[in-house]
Amino acid sequence: MPGDAGILTISILVVTLVVSLLATAVARLRRQSIVLRHHPAYAAMPLRVSEALEADRTVHFSFGSLIPAGTTTPLMVASAEAFTLLATRAAVGAKTPLLTMSEVSALPLAYDVLRRAYRLRGRADQFRNDAVQWYPDGPRSLAFAAALTAAMSDEKVSANIFMGSFGPELALMMDAAQRRGQSAIAASDQLEGQAVAYAMSDEVLIGEEMFAGGAYLGGSAAQVGAVVALDMLRVLLIAGILLLVFDRVTGGLYLSALLRGGG
Amino acid sequence: MRRLLAILASVITIGVGLVTIYDLTVGTGELAAALLRLVVATLALMIVAGVINLLIVHIGRMRYLKRGWVYSLVLLVSAFATVGFWLAGQSEMNDLLLNSVQVPVESALAGLLFFALVYGAYRLLHRRFTWTGLLFIIILLVMLVGALPLEQFGLARQVREWLLSVPVSAGARGILFGIALATIVTGVRVLIGQDRSYRE
Repeated sequence: MPGDAGILTISILVVTLVVSLLATAVARLRRQSIVLRHHPAYAAMPLRVSEALEADRTVHFSFGSLIPAGTTTPLMVASAEAFTLLATRAAVGAKTPLLTMSEVSALPLAYDVLRRAYRLRGRADQFRNDAVQWYPDGPRSLAFAAALTAAMSDEKVSANIFMGSFGPELALMMDAAQRRGQSAIAASDQLEGQAVAYAMSDEVLIGEEMFAGGAYLGGSAAQVGAVVALDMLRVLLIAGILLLVFDRVTGGLYLSALLRGGG
Repeated sequence: MRRLLAILASVITIGVGLVTIYDLTVGTGELAAALLRLVVATLALMIVAGVINLLIVHIGRMRYLKRGWVYSLVLLVSAFATVGFWLAGQSEMNDLLLNSVQVPVESALAGLLFFALVYGAYRLLHRRFTWTGLLFIIILLVMLVGALPLEQFGLARQVREWLLSVPVSAGARGILFGIALATIVTGVRVLIGQDRSYRE
């Protein structure tokens, strides 16, 4: 028999599963009627890639310290999806996009992102192995930040998209990008990194918005369905929080009594 | 062939995911722990891939004398010297290099972080004036002043503590709630085969 935590986990997963399937079905049936709200960051990303192509310069993507094992795995999946879609646009150009990370375990996924982008464009032979670059992070990821600021200059980068796990060291990279006239869009799952990204990024991307890249940049029914599911779950969560607040305000007269089986 | 591999990848991913969830929620958790240990061992082996990647990138940069090739040379010499010292049984040399080169350089960079952050705040207001931007700067100033260990700034310190315990805490929880929700949705998408990050 599962314990309380197990029952709660199963309940959350079942609710998420039902909502996801429902949202995807709705998105498949009524794809044209679902309009995603305008998001400046996702609207800007393809433009930055196009500008880089026209200027014959490099687009730089970075996972930061995301690890494909642990709590950051889903964010890595979402970031990889967004990077693949953007890299596919950039793969028609002469310059191979640059993909960096500070976690060595992210290397296979990073290679796959760029290889797939080139394969989808039918230009697999143009992929360069040195377009994926790993720089060890060291304490506080400052060594990674230092290496990246140099790489951003050496590789003649035009646009930077940092979507992953970054701490306050993100400020050094953003500062380097701004001094060199490079555009930079950043978001992080760490609160310190997110604060820096809010202050210094060209366009703001916060929290769960990082997971919506596939829907905005790709737009398949499954990807849009995930965003719709997220919105539905958000409403459920807000309703749950309001119920708990109501219960606390009323001193547990209604909800708690109901759950206890009382009148 | 590629399609067959994609189906195989999907089956393995979904199967392992379901078994892990079942074992963590209903079972004893031993199977899940064993699978996670397997993942950790596999990831540890990736360090070899990392070293190969470093060599490919920096040897290539030196070979074609690309911009920054001198830094690549320094990196490669440092890497080989570190391995050489270790092989020669002189690990104390590595410690010395780490403590006298790496640590001071990183500390200097940490000091620079403050200036980069302040410049970023200035740039935020300079680039586009918005009320949220102004609020951000005011709160930043209150936080900095409130952190000063001076008696004259007692009020600022109280405001700082209230900001940290109420709005900052609420905002941080909101962001983390959002990330947690999206994490669960993405995980479920992988489990039901809607995510294609591991197949074409």
